[in-house]
Amino acid sequence: MKRQTALFIGLALVLTACGTSTPPAEPASVIDVGSLYEPQNLDNAGGGGQGVIEALAGNVYEGLFRLTDDGQVENLLAAGHKVSRDGLTHTFTLREGVRFHSGDPLTGADVKHSLERIIGDGSKSARKGDLSVIKGIDVPDPSTVVVTLSTRSVSFVYNLSQVWIVNDAVRDPATTEDGTGPYKVGTWRRGSSLTLDRFDGYWGERPDNDGAVFHYYTDASALNNALLTGVVDLVTSEQSPDALAQFEGDPRFRISEGTSTTKLLLAFNDREPPFDRALVRRAVSAAIDDRKLLRSIWGDHGILIGSMVPPSDPWYEDLCRLNAYDVALARKLLAEAGLPDGFTFTLDTPNYDPHPTIATFVKSELAKVGITVNIRIITADEWYTKVYQRHDFTATLQEHVNDRDIRWYGDPGFYWGYDNPEVAELIKRAETSATAETQASMMRTAARRIAEDAASDWLYLNPQIVVSSSRLSGYPVNGLNAQFPVYDIKER
Amino acid sequence: MRVRSPALAAGCALVAVIVAMALLTFFWTPYDPADTTGGRLEPPGAGHLLGTDRLGRDLLTQLMLGARVAVVASLGAVAVGGPLGPAVGVLAGLAARWLDDALAVVLDILLAFPTLLLAMLVVAAKQTSLAAAITAIGLAVSAVVARLTRVLVKRVLAQDYITAARTSGTSWPRIVTGHVLPNIWPTLAVNLALQAGLAALAEASLSYLGLGAPPPNASWGRMLKEAEATVLTSPVAVLAPGALLAMLVIGANLIAQGIREQADPTLRRSR
Repeated sequence: MKRQTALFIGLALVLTACGTSTPPAEPASVIDVGSLYEPQNLDNAGGGGQGVIEALAGNVYEGLFRLTDDGQVENLLAAGHKVSRDGLTHTFTLREGVRFHSGDPLTGADVKHSLERIIGDGSKSARKGDLSVIKGIDVPDPSTVVVTLSTRSVSFVYNLSQVWIVNDAVRDPATTEDGTGPYKVGTWRRGSSLTLDRFDGYWGERPDNDGAVFHYYTDASALNNALLTGVVDLVTSEQSPDALAQFEGDPRFRISEGTSTTKLLLAFNDREPPFDRALVRRAVSAAIDDRKLLRSIWGDHGILIGSMVPPSDPWYEDLCRLNAYDVALARKLLAEAGLPDGFTFTLDTPNYDPHPTIATFVKSELAKVGITVNIRIITADEWYTKVYQRHDFTATLQEHVNDRDIRWYGDPGFYWGYDNPEVAELIKRAETSATAETQASMMRTAARRIAEDAASDWLYLNPQIVVSSSRLSGYPVNGLNAQFPVYDIKER
Repeated sequence: MRVRSPALAAGCALVAVIVAMALLTFFWTPYDPADTTGGRLEPPGAGHLLGTDRLGRDLLTQLMLGARVAVVASLGAVAVGGPLGPAVGVLAGLAARWLDDALAVVLDILLAFPTLLLAMLVVAAKQTSLAAAITAIGLAVSAVVARLTRVLVKRVLAQDYITAARTSGTSWPRIVTGHVLPNIWPTLAVNLALQAGLAALAEASLSYLGLGAPPPNASWGRMLKEAEATVLTSPVAVLAPGALLAMLVIGANLIAQGIREQADPTLRRSR
């Protein structure tokens, strides 16, 4: 390892030296994006992973609606949208003159096909559950789609912003792309790069660049060196604050920090002793100094959250005070719970950074109130089968990356097994409420309830850090739900 | 026996430093290993001689505790491989043709897997712990030693004095303890010393991959992994465990070379 690092540094020096003597001459403005997340395939409903969303969402594929970087939902392929009084019938009018990259025009049948793909049996889409409220899809004419729902769903339009409209003539979307976005997939060299070429037949505004190349790295230091040496123009998501030191104060680079939806959780198994009791969970939450942990892992970046809601969700409220760091309170709660001398539990810890470091910290914090933590290191696969599927754990550490995922506290069958009928009812009713305001108010109440119950310990929220060449502007700062639209990026 | 080999002296000195460091941790460390009050990635200085890690723990304390894991891994792997390897090797050397062939095939298969891969398989099947890691590495070491022993035993058994012993009615156990083991022992000792160094390296590799001793046990491999992200701000966190690991492995290699020089009469004469 040591040798490898030294080699990287050596290479970086050599390449920087070359870079300054011969500036690259690029007639066409193509943006070189560096990322750690290579797609598994090209289908976001077929297990393409985070990488396929990052590269293709908004760039190659478009939805009826678009989720903007500041969390607003606006019309995209839908020119109009009408909802019946009971909220069960949604009528969408499609935008005129939209063509797929293959030249086929966009029709209602494509929309129907795209929705059915998500809710169908073979779908691996994260939106499958949300969209299971769809009861029927009708296409009365080629530019109109009528969707009927089984219950009112106030997040329906938001969820649609995450559904790609795919040409219904495409048989295998995992390998063939046919979307309506401003770019087509050019070449995909697996393990290396994915090229997006500007699509000249695009219905909307012409992108500010001629194309983009996503370069994939498996190692964060290699990625950062690529940025230092000018191989890439920006890095979509920095994973460590210490890598930033090499860019800070250098006029060639700009660092932006947005908010992510990645929450680091100490998740208790709320079904089983000792964590079936809120008193014990609150004691553990109060005994861990989250601020110090965040500083250890992320330096001056990231924020604390007191519940499962990041600031980019519409029902965010600062609830940190509910589970603030207070060792005296932790001792008092333990005594109340009849465990004044503490107890012992096993913490299932994924073997990749930063989980082992966090587990070490949690162990040393809880030792101060007499709780003994046995750290058990497990692989990602083991986590999935043992913790997520079999619920065979006492407590675990895990990053939860999805947006609006507080809803899992309304599902007692979820891996952490939080079972509070009031919260389940609030989350269910919030989804069927008539307006977004009512929904937000109910969700805020639910977020407060789970925080008061310390359903899990929400340790911190990751920052979303983009480092770019200072020549670039127009890139997404938050990259919500892992999307990274490149059409507004331009070189000065 | 007078120590005539400078390699042996140098190797013992290097290993002694690490072992002393490991033993010292049972009585004293600069800080409590769980003490996180040191501040994030403090540079080396008066308070913390080598600085601190991300959590604010003293790096020197972690390094010293890491020495304990490294030494335990080396000795543990040799404790498993030392008896097991020669036992299997001698058995194969003496056994009937079919059993020898079967054992040889099994050993060849085991040897076809790199030590680390074999260790990963064992650790994946069991729960990750230092004991599992040591068992796994010990098994890999056994395969190497057994293979070597088998060849050595066969060579000794082909000698005329073994035939003489056999015809004079000496029993097989007596032949093994009286003739075979004394003849092959120096070569095995050299090999075990080499394997001890490699075992420390294998433990560090497993820990680097998150499959070794679970935290908060300090291990040089995991220290390297954790310091990887912070190499630019805190290079000493990468250099120090790397240097100690190199010291231990080089030390073990020098000891192996020393044992060979001491034991081999032809080398003694040539000097």
